[in-house]
Amino acid sequence: DIISTVEFNYTGDLLATGDKGGRVVIFQRERETKSRPLSRGEYDVYSTFQSHEPEFDYLKSLEIEEKINKIRWLPQQNAAHFLLSTNDKTIKLWKISKRDKRAEGYNLKDEDGRLREPFRVTELRVPTLKPMDLMVEASPRRIFANAHTYHINSISVNSDYATYLSADDLRINLWHLEVTNRSFSILLKLVIDVKFSNTENVGSCKSWRWFHVELCVLSAVFEEPEDPSSRSFFSEIISSISDVKFSHGGRYMMTRDYLSVKVWDLNMEKRPVETYQVHEYLRSKLCSLYENDCIFDKFECCWNGEDSTIMTGSYNNFFRTFERNTHRDTTLEASRESSKPRAILKPRKVCTTGKRKKDEITVDSLDFNKKILHTAWHPTENIIAVAATNNLYLFQEKIN
Amino acid sequence: MLGRGLKRKLSDYEENMAGLSSAFDSSRSLPYPLKRQLVLNMCLTKLQTYKMLVEPNLHRSVLIANTVRQIQEEMRQESNQQPVNICPGIAPASHSYTGMESPGISLQLPSGIGQQESHCCDLRSVEDPIENSLLIVSDDDMSSAISSILKDLDFVEDISPPTCLVPTGDDQPKFPENTGLKLEDDRQDLKGAECVFGSFEISNSTSYLKDLAIDDIFEDIDTSMYDSDFCCPPLTPPRSPSLATEEPLKTFPSCNSSSANNIQICRTDLSELDHIMEILVGS
Repeated sequence: DIISTVEFNYTGDLLATGDKGGRVVIFQRERETKSRPLSRGEYDVYSTFQSHEPEFDYLKSLEIEEKINKIRWLPQQNAAHFLLSTNDKTIKLWKISKRDKRAEGYNLKDEDGRLREPFRVTELRVPTLKPMDLMVEASPRRIFANAHTYHINSISVNSDYATYLSADDLRINLWHLEVTNRSFSILLKLVIDVKFSNTENVGSCKSWRWFHVELCVLSAVFEEPEDPSSRSFFSEIISSISDVKFSHGGRYMMTRDYLSVKVWDLNMEKRPVETYQVHEYLRSKLCSLYENDCIFDKFECCWNGEDSTIMTGSYNNFFRTFERNTHRDTTLEASRESSKPRAILKPRKVCTTGKRKKDEITVDSLDFNKKILHTAWHPTENIIAVAATNNLYLFQEKIN
Repeated sequence: MLGRGLKRKLSDYEENMAGLSSAFDSSRSLPYPLKRQLVLNMCLTKLQTYKMLVEPNLHRSVLIANTVRQIQEEMRQESNQQPVNICPGIAPASHSYTGMESPGISLQLPSGIGQQESHCCDLRSVEDPIENSLLIVSDDDMSSAISSILKDLDFVEDISPPTCLVPTGDDQPKFPENTGLKLEDDRQDLKGAECVFGSFEISNSTSYLKDLAIDDIFEDIDTSMYDSDFCCPPLTPPRSPSLATEEPLKTFPSCNSSSANNIQICRTDLSELDHIMEILVGS
C-alpha cells in the first residue's frame, strides 16, 4: 500500500512507516554481529499491525480514511516502545512490546481460551510462565478521538513525555497522554504543522501558554515578501508551506513550499537565510500541475543529525540533498532499477535546456505519479529512509 | 486541441483541459484573459466535481477558492475601468473587498481567521503593474474569447455573448455585512452573473466558506469539554440560512453537508441528539 509517513525513533534503531491502508510497519536495525562485521546494521521488519480502520461519520455522511497521516515516537522509558499514530480524525497510542513468555495453567479457562465448566475446577493452581518464541505485540493503550473537525495533519510530543499536540487545519489540541476525554484547544488560521521546540524544556506546567510551542501557519510570522514580477495565478498555492522542520540544534527552521526549501534563522523573521530550489523547472508547468492536482502535493523535508544537510523529495522518484556549507546539491533516484543492494547511487540530472545530454531526463518525461513526499533521516547517522509510493528505500552512506 | 462538438462528457472535458493547460504553460502568445479564464474554469471544475466520499481537504479547497476570488476580483476591477457602466446602484471597490473589518458584520470569527482572509485579500489587491498594462483588451474581444471558450467546453449551458462583463451584483453575497439585502436582488443578480460566467455560484460559496464554515461546522460538535476558558471568541449563531445556502449547497460540497446538517440538528429532538452523541462518543 502507499506509504504515507516515515519516522525514525529517537535512537534511530526503529523506523516506523504508516500507509494508506491504516497499517503500521516497524523496522528494527539489526545489531552488527561478529559473523557479519561489515554489515552496518540493516533494518528488518520488527512488527506490523493495523492501527486504524476506515470509519463512517454518520453526521456528515462521509467516510473517514484509515490512512496514517503521522507517526510520532515517544521517548523510550522502559523495555516497551510507545508511539502515537493518527489518521484524519483519531490519534492512538500504541505500545509495542516483546513477549517471550506466556502463562499456562489458568484455572478458569483452557489452554485455547475457552471457559472451563465451573464444576470441573476441582483444585486451584498457580499459573506458571513458560518460554515461547519471541513475539512482538502491539496493543492500543489510548484512543484520542472526536476532537478535530478537519483533517489532523500533525502531532508533536512534548519533552515532558506527558503531553502532546495534535493539529488540524484550524485547531490545535493539547492532550495529556493519560486523558482521552478532554483536551485544551485553540483555534487558529490555517495550521500546516506543529512542533514542540526541542531546545527549551519548559517543564510540566499544564497551561498551554507555558509550553514553548512553535507553529507554522499559512500566512506565517515568518514570511518572505513576495516578488511582484514573479506573481502568477498560482503564486499563493505554490508558496503555501507543506512542511516545517526545526533543526536539531534548535536555531534554525526549514520550510518546504512547492518549489523550494527555505532555511530560516529563528531570530530573523523577515527573510530566510538560505533558499534552495528543488525543481525550479516546474515553474513553467504550473498550469498543467494545477490541472492534474500535483500542485497540491505536500512534500516533506528533513535535516541530518548535524543540521549540515537537508533533504527533500521531488517527482520521478527523485529526491534531493543540499549541503549547506559547500552549497553542493545532489539529485538521486529511489527506484528498483537504480538501487541494487550495496551499489552506489548515481546522481541524476534533469535537463532544463534544449540540449539533452546522455543520462539526463527532460522535464516532459518526468513521471508525476512517482512522487517522493515522505523522507526521514536517522537522528545521528547518515542513513535515510525514502518512501516512493508503496516502497520504502533505505540508503546509507558508504564508508570506505 | 480544442475540439468542436455539442455535448461533451467529463472525460473529454478533462482531455481538453489537459491540452489547454499545456498550451497555457508552453505558449507565450496566449492572451492573458484567455489564460485567466482557463484557470478560472479549472478552479470551478475542481470545486464542483470533488469526490464526496471523503471529506475534502480544507487547505486545498481554500487555496482553490482563493484563486477563484483572485481572478474574479481582477475581472471586476477591469470592468470598473471600462467605460460601460453595468448595474446601477452598486459600487464595488477593491478595498471594500476586505469586508471583514466592516461594521455590521454579524459573525465574529476568531481573529486569526480574519487576518488570514484580509491577508489573502491584501495579496490580491496589490496590482501587478506588468499585468495591468496587458489588460488593454477591448470588451468585445474579451467577451467573445470567453464565450467561445465556454461554448467549446460546454461549461455553461446557454450562453449568449454578454454585453457587460462582470455584473457587480456578483459582489453582493460576498460581504457578510449586507445582511439587509433583499432576497430578490440576490436572485436577480444570480441570474445575471450566471449567464456570463457561471461562476456566481462559486463566489457565493467562497464567501460562505470564508464567513460561515468555521462557526457552522463547529456548531454540530459539542466541544464544551474540549475548549478551555481562554480560547476563541464567542461564536455567534449562524446567519439566516436564506441568504447564501441555496446555491452553495449545490456547488461547495464541504460546506454543503455541514450547513445541511446544522439545520437538521437544529430541528432534531433532544433524544435523537443524545442518540447521535452516543454514537459519536462510543465510536
